[in-house]
Amino acid sequence: MAKTTSSTNCQNSHGSYSNYKDLEDLAKPHIESFDHFHEVGIESILNSIKPVKIIDPITNKKLEIYFGHHDLYPPQKERSKIASIHKTLLPFECRQAKISYSGRFDVNVCFKFDDAHHPIQHKFHFGYIPIMIKSKLCHLRGADSQKLVSCYEEPTEMGGYFIVGGLERLIRLLIMPKRNYAMSVERDTFRKQQDGYSDKAVIIRCVRQDQSSATNRLYYLQSGSARLGFWVKGRQFLLPVGVVLKALIDTNDQEIYVNLTCCYRDKYQKVKGAVGTQLVGERVKIILDEVQELSLFTRAQCVEHIGENFKPVMDGVGNETHYSVGDAVLEEYILVHLKSYHDKFNMLIFMLQKLFAFVDHMAAEDRADALQNHEVLQPGHLITIYLKDKLQEWLMKGRRLIQDELNNNRAKYSLELEDVKKTLDKNPSRSIGTAIESMLKTGRLASQYGLDLQQSGGMTVQAERLNFLRFISFFRSVHRGAQFANQRNTSVRKLLPEAWGFLCPVHTPDGEPCGLLNHMSSTCRITSYFDSKGNIKNFDNIRSSILNVLIGIGMTPSLPKLVRAGPPEVLCVLLDGCVIGSISSTIVEKAVLHIRKLKLSANSGIPEDLEVGYVPLLGLAYPGLYLFTSPSRFVRPVKSLCHAGKNLDFELIGPFEQVYMEIRCADGGEGGRTENNPATHEEIHPTGILSVVANLTPYSDHNQSPRNMYQCQMAKQTMGFSSQALQFRADQKLYHLQTPQTPIVRTAAYTKYNIDEFPTGTNAIVAVLAYTGYDMEDAMILNKSSVERGMCRGTIYQSETIDLEDKKIGSSDPRKIFSRNNSDMSRGTIDSDGLPYVGKIIHPDEPYYSTYDTVSGTTYKAKLKGSEPVTVDYVAVDAKNPDKDTQKVNIRFRRPRNPIIGDKFSSRHGQKGVCSQLWPDIDMPFSGTTGLRPDLIINPHAFPSRMTIGMLLESIAAKGGSLHGKFVDATPFASSVRKENGQSSSEPDSLVDELGTLLKDRGFNYHGLEVLYSGVLGTELACEIFIGPVYYQRLRHMVSDKFQVRNTGPVDPTTKQPMKGRKRGGGIRFGEMERDSLLAHGAAYLLHDRLHTCSDFHVADVCSLCGSILTTSFIQPQKKAERAINGLPPGRIPKKVTCHACKTSKGMETVAMPYVFRYLAAELAAMNVKMTLRLSSGAES
Amino acid sequence: MEVGGGASNQRFPKIKIREMKDEYLKFELRETDASMANALRRVMIAEVPTIAIDLVEIEVNSSVLNDEFISHRLGLIPLTSDRAMGMRFSRDCDACDGDGQCEHCSVEFHLDVRCDQDQTLDVTSADLISTDPSVIPVDVAAKSSSSAYDASENKACLGLRQILMLLCLLERKIYRRGIIIVKLRRGQELRLRAIARKGIGKDHAKWSPAATVTFMYEPEIRINEEMMESLSIDDKRSWIESSPTKVFDIDPNTQQVVVVDPEAYTYDEEVIKKAEAMGKPGLIEIEAKEDSFIFTVESTGAVKASKLVVNAIEVLKQKLDAVRLSDDTVEADDQFGELGVHMRGG
Repeated sequence: MAKTTSSTNCQNSHGSYSNYKDLEDLAKPHIESFDHFHEVGIESILNSIKPVKIIDPITNKKLEIYFGHHDLYPPQKERSKIASIHKTLLPFECRQAKISYSGRFDVNVCFKFDDAHHPIQHKFHFGYIPIMIKSKLCHLRGADSQKLVSCYEEPTEMGGYFIVGGLERLIRLLIMPKRNYAMSVERDTFRKQQDGYSDKAVIIRCVRQDQSSATNRLYYLQSGSARLGFWVKGRQFLLPVGVVLKALIDTNDQEIYVNLTCCYRDKYQKVKGAVGTQLVGERVKIILDEVQELSLFTRAQCVEHIGENFKPVMDGVGNETHYSVGDAVLEEYILVHLKSYHDKFNMLIFMLQKLFAFVDHMAAEDRADALQNHEVLQPGHLITIYLKDKLQEWLMKGRRLIQDELNNNRAKYSLELEDVKKTLDKNPSRSIGTAIESMLKTGRLASQYGLDLQQSGGMTVQAERLNFLRFISFFRSVHRGAQFANQRNTSVRKLLPEAWGFLCPVHTPDGEPCGLLNHMSSTCRITSYFDSKGNIKNFDNIRSSILNVLIGIGMTPSLPKLVRAGPPEVLCVLLDGCVIGSISSTIVEKAVLHIRKLKLSANSGIPEDLEVGYVPLLGLAYPGLYLFTSPSRFVRPVKSLCHAGKNLDFELIGPFEQVYMEIRCADGGEGGRTENNPATHEEIHPTGILSVVANLTPYSDHNQSPRNMYQCQMAKQTMGFSSQALQFRADQKLYHLQTPQTPIVRTAAYTKYNIDEFPTGTNAIVAVLAYTGYDMEDAMILNKSSVERGMCRGTIYQSETIDLEDKKIGSSDPRKIFSRNNSDMSRGTIDSDGLPYVGKIIHPDEPYYSTYDTVSGTTYKAKLKGSEPVTVDYVAVDAKNPDKDTQKVNIRFRRPRNPIIGDKFSSRHGQKGVCSQLWPDIDMPFSGTTGLRPDLIINPHAFPSRMTIGMLLESIAAKGGSLHGKFVDATPFASSVRKENGQSSSEPDSLVDELGTLLKDRGFNYHGLEVLYSGVLGTELACEIFIGPVYYQRLRHMVSDKFQVRNTGPVDPTTKQPMKGRKRGGGIRFGEMERDSLLAHGAAYLLHDRLHTCSDFHVADVCSLCGSILTTSFIQPQKKAERAINGLPPGRIPKKVTCHACKTSKGMETVAMPYVFRYLAAELAAMNVKMTLRLSSGAES
Repeated sequence: MEVGGGASNQRFPKIKIREMKDEYLKFELRETDASMANALRRVMIAEVPTIAIDLVEIEVNSSVLNDEFISHRLGLIPLTSDRAMGMRFSRDCDACDGDGQCEHCSVEFHLDVRCDQDQTLDVTSADLISTDPSVIPVDVAAKSSSSAYDASENKACLGLRQILMLLCLLERKIYRRGIIIVKLRRGQELRLRAIARKGIGKDHAKWSPAATVTFMYEPEIRINEEMMESLSIDDKRSWIESSPTKVFDIDPNTQQVVVVDPEAYTYDEEVIKKAEAMGKPGLIEIEAKEDSFIFTVESTGAVKASKLVVNAIEVLKQKLDAVRLSDDTVEADDQFGELGVHMRGG
C-alpha cells in the first residue's frame, strides 16, 4: 500500500556511505566464477592437460612435457627492467591510459627425460591475463566505499567486468543445456544424418571438473538399435552402443540384457509412470547382435576395436597400442563427467532406458527451450576452458616444432633441454595472454574445435555507463545464444512458465533480440563453487554426505550392483549425472522431504543450493530423483513452509525442481490447491519475479504490460547521473544530467539498490491537457522558465585519446611531440605545450592540439570537427616515462545539452514524447489558488489507448507525497502480500482512496484535478485539469546529435551524387518512396530539381553518329601558343570534341543527364555491352 | 456592465491591500476585467526588470562543478534590484560600446574563495562582492538589515584567539548561510568576475522578480437556506466535508450552515456535485464575480512585493505609451471618437 516512507538512506551525513551489499550481489555470478578460475580453475586445467611425449627416433630418448605449478599475479605496473619494484596498477589508471587491467601469468613447464624421477622445471611467461574488477586478484577486492573513492572509483563500484584497452567489457552470461543431465530430444535433423536414423535421441552435455564439456548423443535407429555420437576434434563419430557398453566394463550379454529390460514388468504395464514396454527386450537383442556381427566378444576386443578405428584421429598416440587408444577414447570423449567406467556404464544404461521410454511414448520429451533444462555459462568458466584450449594448442604446437626439428635437423638437433626450450620459444608463450585479451576485446573465440559451445562470437559486450541502470543490466542479462537470433522459428523467444521467478518476464528488449536477451530476476542467483561463507566447496565431501543421507533413508546404492528394477517400482537416483542408486517409489517422497529439511540446516553437510529434482510418476517426463550440486545453476529463494515450523527459512530452489513443487503466492492464498496437495513453499514477495530495472517502475502492476517493457528499455537509455567519479573517467561518451532529483514516488527496490546514488530524472509538474496543439501525437510542451531554471539540463562528456607513439618503430626517441607553433594563430586555443587550455571554449574548425614532427619539421594542428562549440573539460597526460616527452594524452570535451525542441523525454511508464515547444511561463496555464504553472504539458490522448494507469497514480501519489513532505512507496503488487499481522489480502480501502485522502487532507481535489486559468487570457479553463508531479527521464536521443542539414557539400566521387552520412556533411536519402509521393503529387519540377539539378546534374557530349557517350574526347587546341606570341590576349577557345569511333567531330551534341547514367554506360561497357543513344529534337519524335 | 449609447466605457479599477510584507502581498483588484488582471500578472512575472548576473568570467575553477553550471547558478541568485527601473538595458546603453560593462547598465561582482581547511567549505552568495552596495544578493541584504547579532561585540568579550577562531567558524556556520553556489574541499578554488545586468523575465527566468503571481475571481456564494434547512445535521456535516477546503461551517449556536471563508473556495464544484448526489440540486449557487480579483504576489526578494506591483503598473503604462497615437491624428477622431483623445494622452 501507499505507505509514506520517510527518507532514510538519502539523508546520510557527510562522508558515511550506505551499505551497497545488495548492489554487489548483482555482479556476484561474474566475480565468483572468476575467483573460481583463479583459485581452482587454472590448477585443474593444468592438471588435466595430458603430458606430451616425444621420442627421439635415433637415440630413442623420451621426453615428456607437461605443465606444473602456475602463478597469476595481481595487476602491476611494468617498471623499467632494472628496478624490480612493482607498483600496483589501479583500474582507473587503466581506463585513463587505455591499457588492460591484467596480471602476469607464469607457468612452470616440466620436462621429464626418459624415466627420470624428477622433472626439470622451467618457468614460462604466458603473457598477461585480464583480471576481473573486484575479483580476488583485483586491488579493489574488499575495499569499502571510502577506499574506492580514494582509488578514484565509484563508491558503489561492484566490479564483475574487465578493462581491456581502457574499455570496460564483460562476458555475457549465456544459456547452456543443463550439465550432466540426459535430455530426450526430438529433432528432424537427426534423421538426416544417415539412413536408418530416427528423429529421437537422448543428449547429455557432460562437464569435466575443469569446466570443459563434451556432448554425447544417443540416437535411436529405426532398426531398434542405438548409436552413441560424440565429437572428436569437431567431427561427430558414431559407435554402436553395444560396443561401448561392452568396452566399458567386463560384462556379458546376459547382464546387459537384464540391466536394460529391468524397467519392464508385465504387471506394471498400465500403471502411471511405467516406462518400459515389451519392445525393449527386442531392441536389446538387436543391440547385442550388432556387437556379435562385429565378432567382438570380450571387453578387450571391444576396446581394441574402438582404438583401431580412432587411432588416426587421436593426437599423440603414435606408438600406443590399440587398447590404450580405445581406453583413451572412452575416457576422454564418452560421458566425461564420470571417472569410473562402472558409473559410465550405469549412466549409459540409464540413457538407453530413457531413450526407449521416449521412443515408446512412455515418457515425454524434455523441452530444450525450457529453463528447466538450462544452466548458465559464467565468465570465469569460459575463460577457464578457453585458456585450456590455448595451452593445449601451445603444447601441441611445441611438440610439432620439436618433432620437425628432430626429423629435419637430425645431425645437430638432440633432445636436450636447451634445444627444446629454444624450440618452444619459437612458439611465443605470451600469445596466450594476448589471445585471452583479444577474446575479451572482440568477443570471438578463436578456437579450432569450438569448445563444445554453440557460438564462437559475441561472447563479450562493452559495459556502457550510459546510466547506472544500463550498467547493472549488463550483469543481469542472460543471452539465449547467438544461433537463435537468425532462426526463423520464434518458439525459443517465448516466455515459458518454467522461467517463473528466474528470468524477468518484463525486462526484455522488443525487436530483434526480444525473448533471447533476458534478464535475471532481482532475487535470482547463480550457484557457484563458493558456499555462503566464501569457502570453496568440496564436491567429493558433499556428494559422499548426500550419498550417506540417501542410503540412510533407504536408497539402494548402485555399488556393487544396481538393483534390477525400474519405475514405477523403484526410481533411479542420479547425483550430478551419476546413477548412485535406486529408491523405492513408496519412500521417495519422504526422502525428498528429508533432504529438503537437511538443506535448510547448516551443519548437515548438504549444501543449501542442492537441487532436489524429484520427477514423480505422472507419465510425463522420465521419472527419477535427480540431484544437482553443480555450479552455474539458477537458484532463487522461497519460503519453506513445511520445515522448522517458522516461516523464516528460505530455501534455494532451482528451475528443474520448481516445476514439481507446490509454491503458493505471497498473499497466502492456496491458489486452488486442495488439502491433499498442500503448498510446501511460498513466494517471498511478488516483485521477486521482476528484474532490478523492472522493479523500479512505480505502480507497474497498474500498467498495461507492454508499457512496462518499454519503460525497462527507456530507463536504460536515460540521460542520468551516470558516474560520481566523472572527473576521473575517460569514456568515449558520457551523458550527465546536471540537476537530477530523487523521485517522490518510488519502489522498495529503489532504496534497496541505492539508486539515489545515480538518479535518472526530475520530478516535473505535469499537466494533462490539450492546450496549444503543440502537444499532439506524443509531443510535449516544456515550460521555458523551468528549463532556464535548470530542469533536465545535461552535458555530454566526450573524451579523445591521442597517442603519438609510432607502433612500428621501437625507437627510443619519439618522432612526434606535442608542441605549438608560436608563429601562427593557434595561440588562442593551444597552450605552449601543444595542448588546449582547460576551460577554454573551442569553436568548430579551431585547432585544439598541435604536434610537431621532429623528422620532417612540420607541425600538425588538429581542428575541431562538427558544428557546435565545445568546452575543454580536462586534459590528462600519460606520464609513463617522466623523462621523455609526452606521447599519450586524453582530452575531454563538454558539450552542453540543454533541453531544446526535438529532445526526447519519457515518464517511467513507457510514455515517451518529444519536446515540441519551449512555452513561455506566462502563457502556461496557472492554478488560481497556488499560482503554480506546470513544467510540462502532455496530451490526454496519451492515456486511453496505452492504459498507463500507473502514471496517473504516480501523479496523485507524488502530489500527496509532496504536500505531506514524504516519499510514497509505490512497490507493485503491494496489495498481494500478506500483512505483517497475518491478515489476509482483502483490502478494506483501495489505493486510490488512500492517495485521494492525502490530497484532501491538504485542501486539494480528491482526484488530483485542479482548476486552471489560461495563462494567455486569464480566464478559467473549461475543464478541471489533472496535474501533479511525475518523475520524468530525459532520454539520450537529442536533436543536437541528430539533425542533418546541407545545401551543397561533398559528393560521392563515382556517382557525383551527394554523399551520405551526417558526419561527412552529407545529405539525407531521398528514396524511392519519397520519389513516389512527389510523382503522385505531380510535382514534376520539384522532382526534377531535387533528383537531378541538385544532385548529379551533368552535361555530356554525345556523338549522334554512333550514339556513344563514352567515345568522345577533347582536342587540345594548338593555336594557343601562336596567339600568345602575337601579343593578343588568349581568348576563349571553343571546346572541340571529337568522337574516337567516328574520327570526326561532326554530329557532336550536348545532352543534360544524370551523371550516374554515364557511369552506367561505363559499367556496361566494362561488361562488353554497348549503349547507344539515339538523339532527336523533341519535335521530331 | 452598462453600455450606454456613445457613453464612456472607461472604468476606474480600485485596489485594496489586504496583507503586505516585504516579499508577500495580497490585494483586491476591483472594477476591471480579466484582461487587465491577467496583463498585470503577466507583466509582474515576465516584464518587470531586475538585475541578475549575466556574464561570468571564470579565472580559476577547480571545484567539482563545471563552469557553465556555476555560471548558471550565479545567474539564478536574486539580487536587490531597486535600481533596476532606472537602469539601462545594456543593449540600449550608449555609454559603453555595447559591451554592457559600464556603471549605467551593469554591476560587477567578484568572487574569490579558496578552501584551505579539511572541512568542506561552502561558497555562498555571501562571498559575492559587489561593486555597487545597492545591488547585492537578497539574502545578504536581508541579513544586514535585520541582524541583531553584533559580531564585533562578542569578539571583544571573549578576547582569546582560539575562541575567536571558533566563533568565527560558528559565525560562518550560522551567519554565512547564504545561497550555496558550490562546495569546496581542501585545495579547491573558485575565482571569477561576474557582470550583472538589467533584464526581464521574458528573456530569462532569472530576471523574473516574482516567485508566484496569481489571482482568483472572488466567488459569490448563495446558499438556498430553505433547502439547506431540510437537511439533517449529519447531512450538512457530510456536505461541508465534501469541500476539500474549509469554505463552510456549522454555526455552533444555530446549527445553520454558514460561509466562513468564501475565498477558500477553489471552484472545484465539489459541493455542487455533492448537493446533486444528495438529491438537492440547487442547494448552493456559486458564481465568480467577473470584475473582482484577489491577487497574491510573492516576490523573490529582488524587489519588494509592493514595489513589484507598482513597477508592473509602470511597465504596463510604458507599454501603452508605445501605442499612443501621435498628435497629428486629430482628423481621425471621427473614426476613433473619444478613444482617440485617450490615446493621445488627453
